[in-house]
Amino acid sequence: MTSELQRQHLRGEYDNVAGDGYPGDHHSLRLRRLPSQMSIHDLPHYNPSLSDAGDSEAGDHGQPRDLRSLPLPMAIKKAKLKSRGIQVPVLSKVELWKQEKLKKLRKFQTQAREFLYFLVLWGKTIQKIGGNFGGGVKSYFLFLRFLVVLNFLSFLLIAGFVIIPSLVFRQVGTSFMNSTGNERCTIYEPNPPGLVVFYNFFLDLLSGTGFMEYSFMFYGYYNNTMVGNSSFSYKIPLAYLFTAVFYFAFCLICIIARMGSAARVAVATGGSTVVNYSMIVFNGWNFGCLGETATKLKQKNLLYRLQVDLEEESLKKRAASLTLLKKFGLHSLRLLMALLVLGLNIAAFYGIYYATTYSQEQQNKRVNKESDGVQDLFFEYLPSIVISVANFLVPLLCDQIAKVEHYSPSITVIVALLRAVVLRFVGLGVLLFTLWNQITCTGNMDDAKCKECSYNYASYACWETRVGQEMYKLTLFDLLINIAVLVLVEFPRRMVVDNWSSKVSQMVGRQEFVVSSNVLGLVYSQTVVWTGALFCPLLPLINTVKFVILFYCKKITLFSNCRPPQKTFRSTTSAFFFLVVLLLGWMLASVVMIYSIAVIHPSRGCGPFRFSDNMWSIIPTSFYNLSAATQEFLFFIGSQAFTIPLFSLSGLVMCYVIALFSIYGKSVGLLRLQLKRENRDKQFLVKQIEELSR
Amino acid sequence: MGTTASQLDKGMLSEYQELTFLTKQEILLAYKRFSELLPKEETNGLSYRIPMNAILELPELKTNPFNKRICMVFSTSDSHDGSLSFDDFLDLLSAFSDSATLEIKSHYAFRIFDFDDDGTLGRQDLEKLVNCLTGGTVDTSLTPEEMKQLIDNILEESDIDKDGTVNLSEFQHVISRSPDFVS
Repeated sequence: MTSELQRQHLRGEYDNVAGDGYPGDHHSLRLRRLPSQMSIHDLPHYNPSLSDAGDSEAGDHGQPRDLRSLPLPMAIKKAKLKSRGIQVPVLSKVELWKQEKLKKLRKFQTQAREFLYFLVLWGKTIQKIGGNFGGGVKSYFLFLRFLVVLNFLSFLLIAGFVIIPSLVFRQVGTSFMNSTGNERCTIYEPNPPGLVVFYNFFLDLLSGTGFMEYSFMFYGYYNNTMVGNSSFSYKIPLAYLFTAVFYFAFCLICIIARMGSAARVAVATGGSTVVNYSMIVFNGWNFGCLGETATKLKQKNLLYRLQVDLEEESLKKRAASLTLLKKFGLHSLRLLMALLVLGLNIAAFYGIYYATTYSQEQQNKRVNKESDGVQDLFFEYLPSIVISVANFLVPLLCDQIAKVEHYSPSITVIVALLRAVVLRFVGLGVLLFTLWNQITCTGNMDDAKCKECSYNYASYACWETRVGQEMYKLTLFDLLINIAVLVLVEFPRRMVVDNWSSKVSQMVGRQEFVVSSNVLGLVYSQTVVWTGALFCPLLPLINTVKFVILFYCKKITLFSNCRPPQKTFRSTTSAFFFLVVLLLGWMLASVVMIYSIAVIHPSRGCGPFRFSDNMWSIIPTSFYNLSAATQEFLFFIGSQAFTIPLFSLSGLVMCYVIALFSIYGKSVGLLRLQLKRENRDKQFLVKQIEELSR
Repeated sequence: MGTTASQLDKGMLSEYQELTFLTKQEILLAYKRFSELLPKEETNGLSYRIPMNAILELPELKTNPFNKRICMVFSTSDSHDGSLSFDDFLDLLSAFSDSATLEIKSHYAFRIFDFDDDGTLGRQDLEKLVNCLTGGTVDTSLTPEEMKQLIDNILEESDIDKDGTVNLSEFQHVISRSPDFVS
């Protein structure tokens, strides 16, 4: 009797399996309740139909259940499907009709999904990458694809509202002539007179000057044309401003939408960055379709990782028992290293500052605005070169410094990432700050150069175009550097490592695809594009093309030159992290945009805002052209009678959501406790039965 | 080619579509690969059971350390020899497909890891699992002390009811906190 009961107890363990593979039987359909209820709150794909599994014989509840999520062999699923069909449901006509409609809808959904699968850009490629290189590398390519789509859609937006109307209305519309005072400031000569050397075309292409300067590329080309008649009016300046603002808002919405889905997962799983052993062991099973060498590599990686983590744990135990003196020594060493890193960063920033200043001076000195060959090109690209060199060298040095600091591996990764992010963004900020210094004479309007036109007219006849050119150069240089590194470093490295076996090449090894630095590069380029979009409307299109080229280049280098990564990068929390960094870049760019719109005086000689004091002032003037009713409505929305109730309502909604969130967290804890208690009860009962049956 | 496609008529295809996570193209492709493994004289591919060593010749499964366990878990043959019919093959592909739910994947992963088929992951199961993951030969496995430390850590993290083994619910709980599992 006892053995029979014990066998039943063992069978009960497999609550949700009914199949021939087990020394069990088919009772377990009813027992399936238990695990499904356990998994309600912590599974992202909770299937509500499973809780009804026990009632399947009792008749349909009017909802077709998802048979494929049942972990049963095919034969049993087929039997269930058949039995469901044979059952004569005692349902009313309405419910029957609803069921039919639902079935048709699901069929349509599956067909649509299959069709969309083909339309998704690069779907197959990314799947192949994921299968061969893991989730971390795949998340990089997913992020790149997201940016390509974002840039393309924003280009369509800008083209539709700014470029095409400018093109169409250029001849038709009327330019508002309003000469106020200073004639000198309105002179703007982008195309110098005289003969142009033939290779200037190429140089102009690379630096955005010459024929490119006065074109749709840059802000300076657009006029403040206004077209209007009784039924339709279109003001280019207004359109330009609104498009820029809307472009930023659109990008923000896209990022936040994407963050939402990633955040949901990160929050549900507790978002812990510490990887524990169960995760490594249980997640390591998915070997995909790797070949023999790749499988052996992955096994070696897992072994290495487990050994490193175990060693780290024993080190931690030892470190906890360090003497006070040693602790003090360690902390002071870390402080010293942090100061060293700070010093390196500041040196890099000074380098960028001087490079930008020098480059701007060189460009302003050029007589007749002609490019004097390659040397001038070098000076123009000097800021980009310095930024790229700094972004390469400083993280390398920081890695070496991190070896001295002896943080635990997870903290080291986070610290390295943070340092790289700070370096890139502050570097870009320094470049922009230097430009601002030059253009507005450090904000001092009484300075001799800026007094006349309220910006530095002598050096910058059309400063917006110049800023746009700088951003264009940064973008272009980034692409060229990526391709150059690919051709000159990665391919030769692979050839050397493969064909020449020596200790050095063994130590260096094949290239590894480092996800974090590549992602930071993407975020940096996107920030540059956002900063420059106000001044160079075609920049999103150029960026789309650039990212597409980059996708294919990275794919080629991945498959030919790279080996599978040493440390598995956690793909889901890292996707969230990428978007957070992207958001930071967006904020930097929006600060620049808001400042340029609201504070700096637009150029008097070019662009659609040449007759306003700042770009924003066009809005109040057009506002008063609206009908009285619209004006009142808009005033009402801005007034306190509307905004205060709105804020309090959204505050209430947020409180409700926070309360819900904490409740769910608590129920997870309660269910865990329940699990513990039930097992203890089970063991107690089994012991009792054993005692009684003796 | 004509005969293989005609063995799967529309009714069966739609039935398979409803019962698995595979698309129509994937099911047809699976049938093609399955029939390549059939011996020449066998015409009815749907009822024949392919023996385990033939399945293990597939390039995708050949070097996978868990290949034998996968065959054993998905096989519904009465003799428990790991042979797969076409239905079993589709079950296998469905569980591994991208659109399979977390519950399905975790359920089958648990069964694959359960080397002794006793319904829970005990110390021996975990040890065999780690050896499979790291290579299994003498120079690619952990030392006994490291193994003991690792398994102690795993049990401490995952064994909620402290009975010394990881059962299905505890396994699913650990997995649910790690969404990397599905990707």
